[in-house]
Amino acid sequence: MNRRLMMGAAAAALTVAMTPAAMAQEGYVIGVSNTVQGNGWREEMICAMRAQALVEEDVASLIVAHRNTDSAGQLEDLNNLIEAGVDAIVLNPSNPDALNSALEAAMEAGIVVVAVDAGVTAEGAYILSNNQEEYAYLGAKWLFEQIGGSGDVVYMRGIAGVSADTDRDNGFKRALAEYPDVTVVHEVFTGWQQDQGKQQMFDFLATGIPFDGVWTSGIDNVIVDAFVESGAPLVPIVGADNAGFVEDLLTVEGLQGAAVTNPGSVGGAGIALAVDILNGNPPDSTTVLVDPVLWENATDAGRAMIEAAQNPNLDPEWPVSVTIPGWTDYSMEQIIACDGPA
Amino acid sequence: MSLVQRNAWTLGLLVLFVVLLGVTRAIQPGFGVSGLESLARAALPFAFATAAMAVVVIVGGIDLSVASMMAVCSVTAAVLMQSMGGVPAILITLAVGTAMGLVNGALIVLTRVPDIVVTLAMLFVWQGTALLILASPGGTATDWMRSAITGSVIVDGLPKALVLVALVVAVVWVPVKRSKLGLAIYATGSDETAAYRSGVAVGRTRTLAYGIAGLFSACGGLGLLALTGVGEPVPGPYLLAAVASVVLGGVILGGGIGGLLGPIIAVFILRIIRTILTLAAVDPNVTTIVEGTIMVGVVMFGAVLVLRSRGAGP
Amino acid sequence: MTPSDDPLLDAQGVAKSFGAVRALTDARLTLARGEVVALMGANGAGKSTFVKILTGALQPDRGHVRIRGQSAQVGSPAQARRSGLVPVYQEPSLIPDLCVADNLRLVDTPVDGFRHWLTELAHGDLRLDAMIRDLPLASLRIVDLARALAMRPDVLLLDELTAALPTDLVDRVLTVARQQAADGRGVIYISHRFAEISRLCDRATVLRDGATVGEVDIAPGIEDQVVEMMLGARIDLGKRAAAIARPRPEGRPRLRVENLAVAPKLVDASLALHPGEVLGVVALEGQGQDELFDALAGFRTPLSGRIEVDGVAAGFRHPADAIAAGLTLVPGNRAEALFRERSVRENIAMPFSARPGAWGPLRMRHEKARVAEAIERLQIDTRAQGEVQRLSGGNQQKVTIGRWLAHGVRTMLLFDPTRGIDVRTKRQIYPLVRELADQGAAVLFYTSELEEIPLACDRAIVIFNGRVVDMVEATEADEERLMRAAYGLTGSEGAA
Repeated sequence: MNRRLMMGAAAAALTVAMTPAAMAQEGYVIGVSNTVQGNGWREEMICAMRAQALVEEDVASLIVAHRNTDSAGQLEDLNNLIEAGVDAIVLNPSNPDALNSALEAAMEAGIVVVAVDAGVTAEGAYILSNNQEEYAYLGAKWLFEQIGGSGDVVYMRGIAGVSADTDRDNGFKRALAEYPDVTVVHEVFTGWQQDQGKQQMFDFLATGIPFDGVWTSGIDNVIVDAFVESGAPLVPIVGADNAGFVEDLLTVEGLQGAAVTNPGSVGGAGIALAVDILNGNPPDSTTVLVDPVLWENATDAGRAMIEAAQNPNLDPEWPVSVTIPGWTDYSMEQIIACDGPA
Repeated sequence: MSLVQRNAWTLGLLVLFVVLLGVTRAIQPGFGVSGLESLARAALPFAFATAAMAVVVIVGGIDLSVASMMAVCSVTAAVLMQSMGGVPAILITLAVGTAMGLVNGALIVLTRVPDIVVTLAMLFVWQGTALLILASPGGTATDWMRSAITGSVIVDGLPKALVLVALVVAVVWVPVKRSKLGLAIYATGSDETAAYRSGVAVGRTRTLAYGIAGLFSACGGLGLLALTGVGEPVPGPYLLAAVASVVLGGVILGGGIGGLLGPIIAVFILRIIRTILTLAAVDPNVTTIVEGTIMVGVVMFGAVLVLRSRGAGP
Repeated sequence: MTPSDDPLLDAQGVAKSFGAVRALTDARLTLARGEVVALMGANGAGKSTFVKILTGALQPDRGHVRIRGQSAQVGSPAQARRSGLVPVYQEPSLIPDLCVADNLRLVDTPVDGFRHWLTELAHGDLRLDAMIRDLPLASLRIVDLARALAMRPDVLLLDELTAALPTDLVDRVLTVARQQAADGRGVIYISHRFAEISRLCDRATVLRDGATVGEVDIAPGIEDQVVEMMLGARIDLGKRAAAIARPRPEGRPRLRVENLAVAPKLVDASLALHPGEVLGVVALEGQGQDELFDALAGFRTPLSGRIEVDGVAAGFRHPADAIAAGLTLVPGNRAEALFRERSVRENIAMPFSARPGAWGPLRMRHEKARVAEAIERLQIDTRAQGEVQRLSGGNQQKVTIGRWLAHGVRTMLLFDPTRGIDVRTKRQIYPLVRELADQGAAVLFYTSELEEIPLACDRAIVIFNGRVVDMVEATEADEERLMRAAYGLTGSEGAA
């Protein structure tokens, strides 16, 4: 019985060994690590990375570790990328402090580390990030202005304990401090889940408690849906530049809202930055912040910006800002195709 | 039955692991000491979560709150270490973990609500507790704790993290297994009525088994803290991974059969499969399918072998 | 044998109710040093409840159980063990996934003593590292007994221990039990077998309807007195339905069973069942009737023997085979037969739509009419029709039997269909059975309550110790006759 078991083990191992292996091409091998899967923003980030790697001539291949996990899981992925012998690692960090052991080991091994979307504290790592605190501040400030500087707002956050959420909370609180007559009447965590956020809004509308505006942390088009489906009078809503919400801003009658850009294509910029560094052209500072822009449908100028950015081919959960001028080089078709180098 | 026969499943898993190590070397010839070390570190929280789950599955239950308890323990220790030394913080955390496990067990025994329901409810309770202790990742870990799992010990290629898992599990589980309590745990899981008739205090046994699971969860939380250096209040993907390793490790869902060694080897197998898939640059959307397929395949293959050997026997 | 001053075990005035059901009202038992006492009682007399209380698995509502004069209540099996009472149950209480040695360790059994008793019980070559799961049933009972003996118990309680044992082992067990008494210890012996009781026991304590009705010294010819005590005033309750009993039919039987043996308990059963006949099966618990019905329903494969349906040999390998041959089992446990969350209508319709091989669409209108008719006939309270689980137990059982009236059935196997059902509903069930037979069905009817035999059956076979030992016509089947038959006191192979 035992011998059979061993033979079986060997057979199982062979199956594994059949999977595609080896990459011995010329050029850089870049590793990617990301810890949220199945979210539109993150998927766009991954596709931007692939598309940018495809158009960068010096990149031979991309190894993508892309799954739902925590910091310990990301540490595992980073260590595996180091073992795979990559030249650079572009990661969306789950936590600024937790990954330092692996990042330091990577840099010791001569690997270029670029964190996108959020920062890391490891010394020597490059950070290319959307400014999350500014993101929340900009949207909140617009919302509070819109409701006349006083009133009740619903505050729909992301995932408790995740650093992007914490940064945005700081920005939101900063704006709130500037408008003492605005109160938060309801605060929930959507978990950055579309269905959950929608249900939470349904539940709150059902209570009948009056409110004057909604700030969302990127779960936005379903909130508009919740208002429309339950027949409640619309209030000003702040969301991100997700394709679905941007379309709502143009088409839903009576909706006043603003989209704050939070481009997932920052991932593509991260690849471009990593290649620049590998080629001996590092930026002046290790931290590069991409500042958000606010598009409102209340003014003509804002409407024009929204119309220019809209693209019906995009998944409604994807941000419409699919490129970052000056950083990314791929075309709209390439990012939608989502193919990396072979 | 000979020793080899009785441990055939565990030995088979060990062989599978060695073969997979060989495959890793074949794909990435540079895979060596540092690779083993990172493998062991990655396996650390999974190993403890799996040990916790294995104990309750052996007693005939299940604990869905393992990952949440790990989160509570990780943030508890991270917060405590800001204001006190590492040793007292660790001791308090271990006590907290054990207490949470005992609460789970006592609720199941006293309310007679099915374990799957109680621990599902407690999953949310502990998750909320973790967020109350620390709303966002923070706290700190002592330096020696972080270095305790980094690098090798005695000889190169024997990762400290591996030695730590082996030591902790041995120190907790071996005495239990050798004692009346261990026997009672296996008896309760195997046939509760027969155990009761044999005079086993079934309720107390079950509660203590959940307590042990809580203790292992606390170790898992401390492992997480040692790995990342910060306490994270949001539970990681340890619940389903633990169930998977327990099943792959030869513990029968339903109780009474299996040990802790098999499941812990299974943890290493699942971790190294991920390493191989990363090294081979397999599409990330395919990796989970491959992981799941391998698991089902091994378990089914094992079941066939067991059936055959039973059928061939007298 | 004279009891010493301080009895080993003394239970007085023990009462226990489960909800409205009074299982025990006044049970008593005393056991002195050097004594072997038999505890006897018909099905439903409260024997198993009393045993559970004696061993600490249940707490009595009233009364007390003292072991060696200790007045403290026996709170749990573990406590009973410490006080010196060690039981060996009808069902093995060994842990299947542990080896023999671990099972010993679990209850702190001295290994030397255990080995000694194993040798005494003809199992000296048993390996201590053998897994319990792999041992045959007879060995399990021996391991269980040897483990109990090794504890040097003051009170040894043996509950139907010999039911699964071959004759030579039974002899060994009786010798060992006698030896216990000779060493100044005590044994409580529970068995249906008069032969063993008269060889082994000094006294018998008889339970009826939850109370101890008498204690008799065992002497030759005592069986009649014990049977009388077990029956009590119920003898005349057997209201004759025998008027409806049909004469023994001629012609080819629907179902013929010849020398059937089914592991573990059925040794040799033969019977013939004709269309239009209701054939009763009389048996005490665990005599092999479970195995007989399981084999006929295709749940178990016989070791040897022959089953013929309409003159054609049948080899059932799956319940579907038995169903295809027209054999329908109504299990004693209603939960096994009904879809509790579905409506009465669906449950009645189920056998019709679930005919093996019928995967096509349901013929709704046709079905509806038949179901409506069945509900009408069964007089089921229609307010609770939504879910079968909201019906009373009796009405549930009416559904399991009555639905076959709507569908027609060739051969019906009824296994204790009236267990736990109120008297009124029982009276409604007998005519249903009769009606099935009048429609041309052949009915095999096992009941644990002897007085039902003359009410529902034409005649009955008696199974004792795995063999069909007798055949009784309903017209002459009063309860005493049946009771004596069930205890193996009559018939060709009756003991004692």
